[in-house]
Amino acid sequence: MEIFEQINLNQTAVTPDELEPLLEETVELVQKRRSQGRIIFDRFMRNRTAVFGLLFLILMVLFCYFGPTVTSHNKPDLLHPIPLNAVLEGGLRPTLQYPFGTDDVGHDWLARAMAGGQISLLVGLSSMLIAIILGIGIGSVAGFFGGIVDNLLMRFTDVFLSVPLYLLLFVLSATFTDGSPKSIIILIAALSWMYTARLVRGEFLALKEREYVLAARTIGARNFHLMFRHILPNAAGPIIVSATLLVGNNIILESVLSFFGFGIQPPTASWGNMINLGDNLFDVNPLLVFIPGMLIFLTVLSFNLVGDGLRDALDPYMTER
Amino acid sequence: MGEYLLEVQDLKTYFKVRAGRVRAVDGVSFGVRPGEKVGVVGESGCGKSVTALSIMRLLPKPAGEYAGGGILFDDQDLLDLSEREMRRIRGGKIGMIFQDPMTCLNPTMTVGKQIGEALRIHLKLDKDEAQKRAISLLQQVGIPAAEERVNSYPHQFSGGMRQRVMIAIALACNPKLLIADEPTTALDVTVQAQILELINGVCSDFGTAVILITHDLGVVAGMCDRVVVMYAGKVVETATTNELFANPRHPYTLGLLASVPRLDEKRHAQLKTIEGAPPNLIKPPSGCPFMPRCTFARAICRTNPPLDPVEGNANHLKACWVNVTDPKEQAYAERRRLARSEKQQAVVKEIAASMLEEK
Repeated sequence: MEIFEQINLNQTAVTPDELEPLLEETVELVQKRRSQGRIIFDRFMRNRTAVFGLLFLILMVLFCYFGPTVTSHNKPDLLHPIPLNAVLEGGLRPTLQYPFGTDDVGHDWLARAMAGGQISLLVGLSSMLIAIILGIGIGSVAGFFGGIVDNLLMRFTDVFLSVPLYLLLFVLSATFTDGSPKSIIILIAALSWMYTARLVRGEFLALKEREYVLAARTIGARNFHLMFRHILPNAAGPIIVSATLLVGNNIILESVLSFFGFGIQPPTASWGNMINLGDNLFDVNPLLVFIPGMLIFLTVLSFNLVGDGLRDALDPYMTER
Repeated sequence: MGEYLLEVQDLKTYFKVRAGRVRAVDGVSFGVRPGEKVGVVGESGCGKSVTALSIMRLLPKPAGEYAGGGILFDDQDLLDLSEREMRRIRGGKIGMIFQDPMTCLNPTMTVGKQIGEALRIHLKLDKDEAQKRAISLLQQVGIPAAEERVNSYPHQFSGGMRQRVMIAIALACNPKLLIADEPTTALDVTVQAQILELINGVCSDFGTAVILITHDLGVVAGMCDRVVVMYAGKVVETATTNELFANPRHPYTLGLLASVPRLDEKRHAQLKTIEGAPPNLIKPPSGCPFMPRCTFARAICRTNPPLDPVEGNANHLKACWVNVTDPKEQAYAERRRLARSEKQQAVVKEIAASMLEEK
């Protein structure tokens, strides 16, 4: 009797309704998996120093772009009236009214730090963007087509690499630029694309031999399609990392130029020419140099930390870890 | 004309290397009729995959070069086409599946985009239409919950599933010919059968001809209408599948068939192999390339045998001087095989003895 009941139970268990959930389970499995972007993001967030760098960068952007309106220190070029003894001491020491002090002619150093930060970040980011686009263009063509094209483009790159960078920068900026941010951006971009080009070429050389590129060829994809749809996204990791590092590098380049008086020309503020201005008064008021110097140092350091974090997060062996 | 969809005529594909030219494919001829399934068999390095890549005109540049012959597809010679015309053929009229589905899908593109790619290139579909077609293709190759899976990335699929996706990509534009280059080698045995069944079924539905490249004779027996046996860049025997398995006429085919392990064999019996290795294709022997390994070999084998019909069957071609069905020849070959293995064992024993002495 019991056995009979059991058989009965078994029979009722296998009804079509019971078979349905199988499909739903499959769907659930799909949804549980994280997307590639999510994996990268999670891995990046686990890296404490990189997250710290990223937070600092976000703070820095907020500070530079929204700081002037929030704190109403929005007149970087205005000469504030300051007492005579302060002029002799190389400017006001930090007060409530001027948290970063002033220089000897009454520039509000906080307002200048924020305005200069805008310029420095703008120069760093946009020259990076131009350099990366140039580098990807040249590197991808060289790596994908190989042979004589590769040879010509890479020798061209070598020529740029073999020129002493700072010397060329000084000469060119003295003759060709008008001290505006735009001209400095173009100049820096034109002299910093080479490492990206080499990197992209290397990636393309390796990736174009991958089987999925061959597979894409078998469905009739054009070269352009192969280069920018199939190969480039797979090289994105190293390119993003080098882009991040390049921003820091370019901010330093801009500062060096401005420090020596070749880059952004006063009255437009940049961290570099703030140091240049403060340099004369270093003996009496070292804060004038110290503040923009610290800002450059911390910003570049943060970019490098973020770059390193991205490098780890964009590990090519992406697995569900 | 007409009879064959694809006709490979005396195809020669060489690779330039420092030591000279590797004759990877050296005078291969065979034909594929519309809707027919042809198996190409042979051991590693005998030019099967290079033949496939030659048909697609995707030889690795600059090393690979066509040294002669022709590839007629739909009555036009693929070797004469411009790169642009060739792109229309690839994916549009000839699809291809590769051995390792793990590396053949782009890890940065969703599966749906990769299937849609061929559709967008050849049928000029827009994004949404391509996506819809991709979903129905995924359903056709038996992927459950295709609407959700279409937006997944390849790393979220198992090996068998990825191979299904590859099949969907290759068949997206309903090509007339599918070249499957060892489609099951990288897969689990249980999945292998499913994939073959799928290729077989889908291609029958679409009327697609198939060239199945493999070294697994079981796969060929289960699926193909005709078999081409290749050795050292040459075709050594070709016949219908039934004929070839029932009545193999080339010593190499005999060896291949004999070397398939069988369940009813005695335990601990030595597995049968073909002794030796394929010849160096940079300096191929002037005679029959199989001669050094062949137990039937005779003096006449120093000249290259032509690919001639077997007496009484015009569709069964073999490139061998010897009639392997002759009992006298068989007895002779068996004696030689035994003598060879004895010699080999003696050498092994000698080495073992000398190693013991050293201790």
